[in-house]
Amino acid sequence: MHFHDILNVFQGITTLLDSPWSILVARLGLMLLGMVLVYLGKKGVLEPLLMIPMGLGMCAVNAGVLFLDPVTAAAVTEGPAAAGAAAAHGTLMMAPLVQKTDSLMYILQVDFLQPIYTFAFSNGLIACFVFMGIGVLLDVGFVLARPFLSMFLALCAEFGTVATFPIAVAMGLNYREAASIAMVGGADGPMVLFTSLTLAKDLFVPITVVAYLYLGLTYGGYPYLIRFLVPAKLRGLKMPPKPAVKITSDEKLTFAVVACTVLCLLFPSAAPLFLSLFVGVAVREAGLNYFVSFIDGPVLYGSTMFLGLLLGVLCEASTILNPKVLILLILGIVALLLSGIGGIIGGYLAYYFSGRKINPCIGIAGVSCVPSTAKVAQKEVSKVTGDAIILPEALGANISGVITTAILTGIYVTLIPLLT
Amino acid sequence: MKTALVSAVTMYALALVISMAVAVMIKGLYAVVRRLTGSK
Repeated sequence: MHFHDILNVFQGITTLLDSPWSILVARLGLMLLGMVLVYLGKKGVLEPLLMIPMGLGMCAVNAGVLFLDPVTAAAVTEGPAAAGAAAAHGTLMMAPLVQKTDSLMYILQVDFLQPIYTFAFSNGLIACFVFMGIGVLLDVGFVLARPFLSMFLALCAEFGTVATFPIAVAMGLNYREAASIAMVGGADGPMVLFTSLTLAKDLFVPITVVAYLYLGLTYGGYPYLIRFLVPAKLRGLKMPPKPAVKITSDEKLTFAVVACTVLCLLFPSAAPLFLSLFVGVAVREAGLNYFVSFIDGPVLYGSTMFLGLLLGVLCEASTILNPKVLILLILGIVALLLSGIGGIIGGYLAYYFSGRKINPCIGIAGVSCVPSTAKVAQKEVSKVTGDAIILPEALGANISGVITTAILTGIYVTLIPLLT
Repeated sequence: MKTALVSAVTMYALALVISMAVAVMIKGLYAVVRRLTGSK
């Protein structure tokens, strides 16, 4: 047996050594990052439902590179399948950048995750399923009880979504890419996926990965932002108890139906997202318990698992090594930071305009990372004043954040193509 | 860059108008549904 044969047996190691230095280092780095994500998910620092499949997918895809046979290599690279053509590096997981129909039909039969990616991920279906699940979990009664305060705070917390757009353009991204990365400020993964798929298909892989990595950090980073921007005296402010307003399920259902119809009429490009969100709300409020258990069980958790797995598998070094990724990493954190600051400024405005009755910390809950940011706000307030309750108002702002992010998604996917 | 800045401000203003319209709609619907169902 020759040394060459041994290398053929261990193709994973051979392809690693055969890679250019940049790819080799990136593959090793991404394998390590994958392990770190699994660890942080298990420890609860990052969202485990997403990070454990994502981290494992990242490890597997970067470890499992092999020399593809000429036919498969030709399908992946979309080049001619010439006899004796050089074997290309690839995996048997999926080929995200394949565009030609013939190549796609071939790859669908070879790569094991390709059918799920092509039929559920790359067309935004999985984002809509996750959104449907979010809809089932939302109690819009919190918004209906205080619509103006909730929508105002949510809009302030969209500051990053809007302000990052010109910053991204100044940093060299085109309008479509700038709008897609700016959506990270909305702190809503499905919206970022939907916007980047609609506006910047070439960059949707790194944008979505950056978004989901950073969204996991909101739970860890925003408490420091609250402590930095709101003094302890104000953080511990007790809000005067308001008489509980009873919102019936009829009222919530009416709101869901009318809001869905009006928003779809205003932004048909984002209609799949509005429909998915409000069908979740409607099913819950109509008391269709079989549908509720189906959506908040198999649909939501199944979609989240495959979303995490596919995001991890998309993090193959050759796909993710785009010169724009560094810019995206910077802009993603800028967007979330500006949204957090905007939310707290909104909280301060509410505090002053209400005659110093509203706790400014609820502003951060306008960032629509349901229900993480509302829980973060309550936790920070409770640390200063144990019996201060701001959760109902915070949840109102939080749920409104989902609606305002969907509105901004609609505005971006409708208006940005007109600018370009 | 200037176009991007103007567009961002315009889009934020549009989002403000629509969000407040949604809030007004919520209030209006609330009143209508209360009246129709006869609840307080």
